[in-house]
Amino acid sequence: MSARAEAPRRHRHSAGVQLILDFLNRLPPYRWTQSRLVRWGITGRTAVTAIPYLWLLLFFLVPFIIVLKIAFSEARIGMPPYAPLLTWIDGSVAQVNLQLKNFANMFQDSLYAKAYLNSIKVAAVSTLFCLLIGYPMAYAIARAESKWRHILLMLVILPFWTSFLLRVYAWIGILKNNGLINNFLMWTGLIDEPIVMLQTDFAIYVGIVYSYLPFMILPLYSNLEKMDLTLLEAAADLGARPFKTFMTITLPLSLPGIIAGSMLVFIPAVGEFVIPELLGPSDSLMIGKVLWQVFFTKRDWPAASAVAIALLLLLVIPIVLLQRAQAAEARGAHR
Amino acid sequence: MATNPRPQQQLAVWNDPQAVPYVQIDRVTKRFGDFVAVNNVSLKIYKKELFCLLGGSGCGKTTLLRMLAGFEEPTSGKLFIDGVDMTGIPPYERPVNMMFQSYALFPHMTVEQNVAFGLKQDGLPKDEIATRVDDMLKLVRLQQFAKRKPHQLSGGQRQRVALARSLVKRPKLLLLDEPLGALDKKLREHTQFELVNLQEQLGVTFVVVTHDQEEAMTLSSRIGVMNQGEIIQVGTPKDIYEYPNSKFVAEFIGNVNMFEGRLIEDEPDHVRIDSPELGGTIYVDHGVSSAPDATVFAAIRPEKFNISVERPNQTDNVVQGTVKEIAYMGDMSVYLVQLASNKMVRITQPNTYRHAEDSITWDQTVYLSWHASSPVVLSE
Amino acid sequence: MSRAFNSTLRAGLAVTAIALAVAACGKKEEAQQAEAPGAAAAEEKVLHVYNWSDYIAEDTIKNFEEKTGIKVTYDVFDSNDMLETRLLAGNSGFDVVVPSASFLERQIKAGVFQKLDKSQLPNLANMDPDIQQRVALHDPGNEHSVTYLWGTTGIGYNVDKVKKILGDTPLDSWNQIFDPKEVAKFKDCGISVLDAPDEILKVVLQWMGRDPNSQKDEDLTAAAEKLQLIRPYIRKIHSSQYIDDLANGDLCIAIGWSGDILQARDRAAEAGQGVKVAYSIPKEGTIVWFDMLAIPADAKHPKNAHAFINYLMEPQVAANNSNFVNYANANAASFAMVNDTVKNDPGVYPTPEVKAKLFPSLAYGEQATATMARLWQKFTTGQ
Repeated sequence: MSARAEAPRRHRHSAGVQLILDFLNRLPPYRWTQSRLVRWGITGRTAVTAIPYLWLLLFFLVPFIIVLKIAFSEARIGMPPYAPLLTWIDGSVAQVNLQLKNFANMFQDSLYAKAYLNSIKVAAVSTLFCLLIGYPMAYAIARAESKWRHILLMLVILPFWTSFLLRVYAWIGILKNNGLINNFLMWTGLIDEPIVMLQTDFAIYVGIVYSYLPFMILPLYSNLEKMDLTLLEAAADLGARPFKTFMTITLPLSLPGIIAGSMLVFIPAVGEFVIPELLGPSDSLMIGKVLWQVFFTKRDWPAASAVAIALLLLLVIPIVLLQRAQAAEARGAHR
Repeated sequence: MATNPRPQQQLAVWNDPQAVPYVQIDRVTKRFGDFVAVNNVSLKIYKKELFCLLGGSGCGKTTLLRMLAGFEEPTSGKLFIDGVDMTGIPPYERPVNMMFQSYALFPHMTVEQNVAFGLKQDGLPKDEIATRVDDMLKLVRLQQFAKRKPHQLSGGQRQRVALARSLVKRPKLLLLDEPLGALDKKLREHTQFELVNLQEQLGVTFVVVTHDQEEAMTLSSRIGVMNQGEIIQVGTPKDIYEYPNSKFVAEFIGNVNMFEGRLIEDEPDHVRIDSPELGGTIYVDHGVSSAPDATVFAAIRPEKFNISVERPNQTDNVVQGTVKEIAYMGDMSVYLVQLASNKMVRITQPNTYRHAEDSITWDQTVYLSWHASSPVVLSE
Repeated sequence: MSRAFNSTLRAGLAVTAIALAVAACGKKEEAQQAEAPGAAAAEEKVLHVYNWSDYIAEDTIKNFEEKTGIKVTYDVFDSNDMLETRLLAGNSGFDVVVPSASFLERQIKAGVFQKLDKSQLPNLANMDPDIQQRVALHDPGNEHSVTYLWGTTGIGYNVDKVKKILGDTPLDSWNQIFDPKEVAKFKDCGISVLDAPDEILKVVLQWMGRDPNSQKDEDLTAAAEKLQLIRPYIRKIHSSQYIDDLANGDLCIAIGWSGDILQARDRAAEAGQGVKVAYSIPKEGTIVWFDMLAIPADAKHPKNAHAFINYLMEPQVAANNSNFVNYANANAASFAMVNDTVKNDPGVYPTPEVKAKLFPSLAYGEQATATMARLWQKFTTGQ
């Protein structure tokens, strides 16, 4: 037996970095850049870790710090419309101005708590529907013949190549009183009066589930596709009927995928603004809309920033869950 | 086809025409599109046998096994287990269990849970399950690993879990797909004997699929040699080795020297073959049923030769050659001897004496001789 | 190197980033105060204009470019809020912007705009003094802006649907909308209200007989309470959806801006589906709003900006704009050149009697803004 070539040492990244790396490695420009860097000797862990790290730094940490800074300020008429963090007294002594009232306000006014809770509820229900719809789809794609799989995956990803906003607008055309659905139903004679679907909570759910479904399908597919099919045969051999096999083997093993997909839907859905604004009723109470109103109608940038920071802190728990699910998945793959 | 008579064998159940087979494979064919994986195979396997399906990759043995398990349905033909026609019966309803080549242990369950899985599907009461699982783990000596998960076990331990899991339901038939393939040599040898002991203890009928002839020879009561979807020969290890029915089987099992020749004498009690390849005549002490004047092959196993420096005292079954290669294996030596016709003959000799004064060396002229009963005459 | 990167370097980078982030904002603030308004001597022949969408005649820009040789980069927006955000964030990159007067009022106080050099704006002589006076309430002394186009906030409605409900009674009073008994008649028909709390609260106050520009808590709260009574009858609170809905015949009544409603009217006529939309200015009076031309304090080409604003005040140019976009201009000298269809449309150029009842929407101070925002949140979401 010929000697095996020395396999490159695999480096374990933190789950967040791994997620970004997985995405970046799918982009030809990234891979090209990486191959160039490797040629110039910037290789291995340094370059690989540095790129996503810098990206995170530039596009997350810096903006976050800016928003945090504004959250501790107070609104005033001026450019920009909030008080500065540092003021110079007599040109030599710096005074730090921190305001906590923006955060305090959020506790005093019940509007915020209600908006957060409602947003979480809407996001949770949407996530559930995404799971119920997305799981069978992911399962079907994972079990399809390999020549069909790529086409099916493309179909799932293709809508991302069009503008998110346009796709939500399209739903207006589909759901409105003289839109596609109602016109079709009335043409077939099934209904006499149009069914009111637009500007309802139903429309919000339709919008969110539709827009975020690929985020549920892709991690689930990734997990199900890697599943060892002989496990299912073994279960059948040991006497488990197909449904039992699904519940005791497939479902538990796909749990990391379920969690990852759910978090990828839930986390952005909580802060959704566009979909409730375009498709939902005027009285839909979501934190994204509240934030918009505080920023634009009330013209209070600091208060709005505080709402944004609070929203982020609220989502820390699901984000941690997502990280752990990703790590579990990575561990499983390395076994 | 040339057939060679066999001495009276001890009465084995497979020779008893009255015996009812436990597993009957009746003219089973399996096609995948245009490709024929299993071609009109018929087989009778008896209770408590340890039957091996032996063959190279792609010969159809795994497909046949999967059909027994219920993962594939035959394109034509029938399968009977304990007299019941298994056509259309799904795997979870068959009294069959399988041990997979990759073990297929459920990674999210402990050893205990893995073994208990099958019993749970039968709806047995909890304490009974616990007892049986415990007993089985004792049998395979894995009690202290009961709470571990598969990824915390070594290869050998995982194999035993797989075995325990497949036996705990006391199936009528156990199918094993390359059970020892993933183990290292020492472990493999050890496990081979364990498997045989287990089978005898539990009295379960085993059907094992393997490509490893040593494994097949060690484990089985009978071997079925397969090639390209067909069963070429079925027999005990000795049958297969000493009485191959074709060149394929002769060459597949162990090593063999083939000499092509022509029958010059064809009598009921002996035949004589003239082989230019050999550079002499072969006298075989039994009759062979074959077409007259046919081209035949005499197959002589390496260990059947005698190698000596002096010419032995026989007219037939002797030939001269030059020693070209010697491989010292410890318990025996392998000699490659070149004949006048440039054919290489492989001979093995046990190293009976530690210190042999007339030990054979390279380039030495030697004489090869064999007993008249040694050759097996084959026509294809 | 690799191992070191994971701890020390990472920490170092993070701290640097944080420091930069904190400093950056501070620097920006100081930079705003430090920059002197338009001191460049020789300007490039370039101009960056930021205007409302669909708000200028087709050839105005081209003609200006040909006349002056200044290359114009023309960008559009559709919301005062967006414009304000860009201006307040600083360094917008624009030389001429077009905020509404009530927003301009606040932005002036924030120091967003530079004072106009009236010596560069001889065409100011063409402007309607009545409008100038009204605008001065937003822009004291008319020092920072020039009126571009103006309009009113009123009631748009589907003629046939309303006729069916009201019969021969005309739809011409705020009472028919803000009185719960009256508005209930239109419940199933569909009513939309602008998502513009400052304007809606003001017209309610006007209807209630109080000072529409009151910033007193009690007045604002009272107005909000009246609004709450009609909330169940309002289908949608939106600032632009009503245009489509009226044109399609999906909506009965909309409180909206004059230009938009007239647009819906024209669209409905074009569609030829038999939908007729009309615009009505309630007899109690309503808000008159103005879109103003102004020059940001940090504009890089103030001279060109002045030239452009002056050009827009030429009578023919102003008339062309009005004719094309169907909005009234504030240029008295241009009146003769405005088409009859535009000139004689009371929705575009209100009659003097109606004009007398128009009142401005003055900017709210911080306290009133906060109260207004909270009341509006309560109105829209019910919380």
